[in-house]
Amino acid sequence: MDIVQVKGLTKRFGGIVALDGADFSARLGEVHALLGENGAGKSTFIQILSGALNHDGGDILVDGQDYRPVNPDEALGRGIAAVFQELSLVPDLSVEQNIWFRREPRTWLRTVDVSQMRQQTLELFERYHFPSIATTREVRNLTLAERQIVEVAKGLAKNPRILILDEATSALPASEATWLLSLARQLADEGRLVIFISHRMGEVRAIADRVSVFRNGSTVATHDAAAVSDDQIVTEMIGRQLARLYPERMDTATDRVALQVRDFSSPPMLNGVNFDLREGEVLGVGGLQGHGQREMFQSLFGADKALGSVTLWGKPVCFDTPRQALSGSEGIALVPEDRRGQGLLLTKSVRENLSLPVIRRFSHLGLLNQRKEAELVRETMKSLSIKADTPEQIAGTLSGGNQQKVIFGKMLMTQARVLLLYDPTRGVDVGTKGEIFQLMRQLASEGYAILFYSSDLPELVNVADRVMVLRSGRVARMLEGDDITEEEILRAAVFDSEAA
Amino acid sequence: MNTFLSRNRLIVLAYIGMLLLVLITAFFSPGFLSASNLRSTFILASFVGIVALGQTFVIIGGGIDLSIPWVLNSAAVLMTLLCAGQDLPLIWVVPLLLAGGGLIGLLNGAGVALLGVPPIIMTLAANVILQGLILVFTGGTPTPAAPDMIKFLSVGRISGIPVIALIWTALTVLAWLLLSKSAFGRHLYAVGTNVTVARYSGVPTTRTTILTYVISGMTAALGGILLTGYSGVAYLGMGDSYLFTTVAAVAIGGAPILGGSGHYIGTVAGALVLTILTGLLPALNLSSGALLVVYGAVILLTVSIGSETFSEMWASASNRRKRIKEGTENG
Ligand SMILES: Nc1ncnc2c1ncn2[C@@H]1O[C@H](COP(=O)(O)OP(=O)(O)OP(=O)(O)O)[C@@H](O)[C@H]1O
Ligand SMILES: [Mg+2]
Repeated sequence: MDIVQVKGLTKRFGGIVALDGADFSARLGEVHALLGENGAGKSTFIQILSGALNHDGGDILVDGQDYRPVNPDEALGRGIAAVFQELSLVPDLSVEQNIWFRREPRTWLRTVDVSQMRQQTLELFERYHFPSIATTREVRNLTLAERQIVEVAKGLAKNPRILILDEATSALPASEATWLLSLARQLADEGRLVIFISHRMGEVRAIADRVSVFRNGSTVATHDAAAVSDDQIVTEMIGRQLARLYPERMDTATDRVALQVRDFSSPPMLNGVNFDLREGEVLGVGGLQGHGQREMFQSLFGADKALGSVTLWGKPVCFDTPRQALSGSEGIALVPEDRRGQGLLLTKSVRENLSLPVIRRFSHLGLLNQRKEAELVRETMKSLSIKADTPEQIAGTLSGGNQQKVIFGKMLMTQARVLLLYDPTRGVDVGTKGEIFQLMRQLASEGYAILFYSSDLPELVNVADRVMVLRSGRVARMLEGDDITEEEILRAAVFDSEAA
Repeated sequence: MNTFLSRNRLIVLAYIGMLLLVLITAFFSPGFLSASNLRSTFILASFVGIVALGQTFVIIGGGIDLSIPWVLNSAAVLMTLLCAGQDLPLIWVVPLLLAGGGLIGLLNGAGVALLGVPPIIMTLAANVILQGLILVFTGGTPTPAAPDMIKFLSVGRISGIPVIALIWTALTVLAWLLLSKSAFGRHLYAVGTNVTVARYSGVPTTRTTILTYVISGMTAALGGILLTGYSGVAYLGMGDSYLFTTVAAVAIGGAPILGGSGHYIGTVAGALVLTILTGLLPALNLSSGALLVVYGAVILLTVSIGSETFSEMWASASNRRKRIKEGTENG
């Protein structure tokens, strides 16, 4: 019998219907993938399943018994734990303190048994082959990927029968994502149920036994993974056929250099990067995580400091703040790594978020022209098909992918023509991904210049005109034409290319 | 306006609370609704409201200004000394003192935004330093009386309406324009909500933060000048009560103390509530000690009703009730 059985689940947020009669059923020992467009209701569904939200209607049976947890602890009592899409670690606590948060091993004096806690952490890490992270580091000093890994450890530490991973791979670089996939497999083989949410078809293909597809808050179908084609799944997800994910290659690059970077350094992460980004070009950035990609993007945008010379459209520039980088159409805009920490005012409306970088442009004699603002906001929302009830919906209540689109929209509204995209499709559904790539291509053909980092190798291979691979804070190799393959990128990231 | 109200439910609550308070007060002390009493309530509320304007901006931006009492007091003392009872010097004394208040705010803001000193420490230090300076400067001697012009501004009337109420109204309109209709307002809310996101969005975060303290210094100085007209003289300690009342007015007006939202329109209600309350409590024949206790308790209650924890508690309680009704949970 299936351990989880869900019938006709509904959930409403005010006037917004997030779940509209969803059905679901899964058994122990399988990896069950959950697919669906941004805003389809996947996260809402698993939040209900894990006790973080109440549902309005419908029934959930776990082990054949009625199930309606009031909080995550009660859900855990029935063996269910979740790794949420939006991370929830306490920045001021260490890795191990976070993993065992509120469940710390105690000494007989009821104080926290630190050595026991460390021991348990190391055992957990070893048993599941965790990438190495020092257990005593403070979470605030970790990268997004590392935080995501700790989040997984925290879920596993609860030893659940059912583990839910909501887009846990989206923030991970290739090697760590692969690790997480094999971990999910291992857990299923141990007899647990893993509910796995991802927008990457390749990952789903690699591990899922069964696939359930959500659309507009209800279930379209559940398939045996082996018996269904990608095309069919995608069609069920988006309700139409996806012509193609990756846009046609077009060489729109001109000879004009948009962004020239020389000796760009900020030791120890950046050690002299040189490259030219041309007008009309999409220049990919690859390499193993932590080899200076993030620092490069941050520093070019003026959010961090770096030495070296940067020339923008032929003029030497030196940005001390993002504000300088964003000013005017000769500027640079960034889609930052951390959606919630850097990208969005979660408690403000979509409109306020979109217009924030350009709000001064709507100012006339000191007063805002709010009609003009609303008009431009509506246009941007439409061109990116941001799924929000109204422009006044609070950004934090959008689905993950739609939040990402708002950040993208913010950047487009600035009219800066050099774009730094740091993993811009993280958490974005296939249909929208296709649209974003299409948009990037279109912008390039209009004379924009785009620097594009992605943690998803196929994206780099299929979208970028050239790919520069960073290693130890330097450009290890610049791949062009037929050299742009996943293997070459990985090889350049790991080995010394000249010697090979 | 519709979205303004729906996004600022706490402000609506503050006004409803104020109306209730008016009814209660009118019940206990029937004289409350007399024209002269309403007028004097309004005048007193104006001082709180004007001084709390700057505090509102600072708190929305995620800070707090504890230097208000002695900025206010310094302005009052210096004004009486420099004018020596004459109206004419006001032409340069008032702008000078407003600029001086702004300068203190500039220093506060620079300490907070550029040096990263916590707002509580920075502004508390400024408060103590000003207090010391004024004590040294005046040597405790009494100061001359306030000029007539200032008296007119704070207690005078134009066709029956208190002049200060007009000043307050003008400032309220200005604050509303700044918060709701200007780019600065958007920047301010962004900074108070998440300063990193604001920075990544090209908001001049440092300048925005500093400006809030400048505004606060200026409204505190203005409050000091006007208050002298009300009391007739400047005296040491005249600003002390304004620390608590400004913060309380902002909080009652629905602005979370951590910043990012709220509005001066709410603070206006807060200032009125506090002033009416001070008028109501003596009518209940309480001793002055008991009066303070009630005063504090009422503020605590008002503020906590609006707080997030409270509304969460409320939501989860009603959820539970619903479920018990549905019979899915017993007990
Ligand atoms: N607290 C909330 N208030 C209002 N609407 C909400 C809230 N939480 C979710 N929603 C809405 O419910 C819908 C479903 O959101 P959900 O997060 O479940 O989508 P999802 O399938 O996980 O999408 P994604 O792939 O982008 O993560 C969305 O339209 C979202 O805007
Ligand atoms: Mg989601």
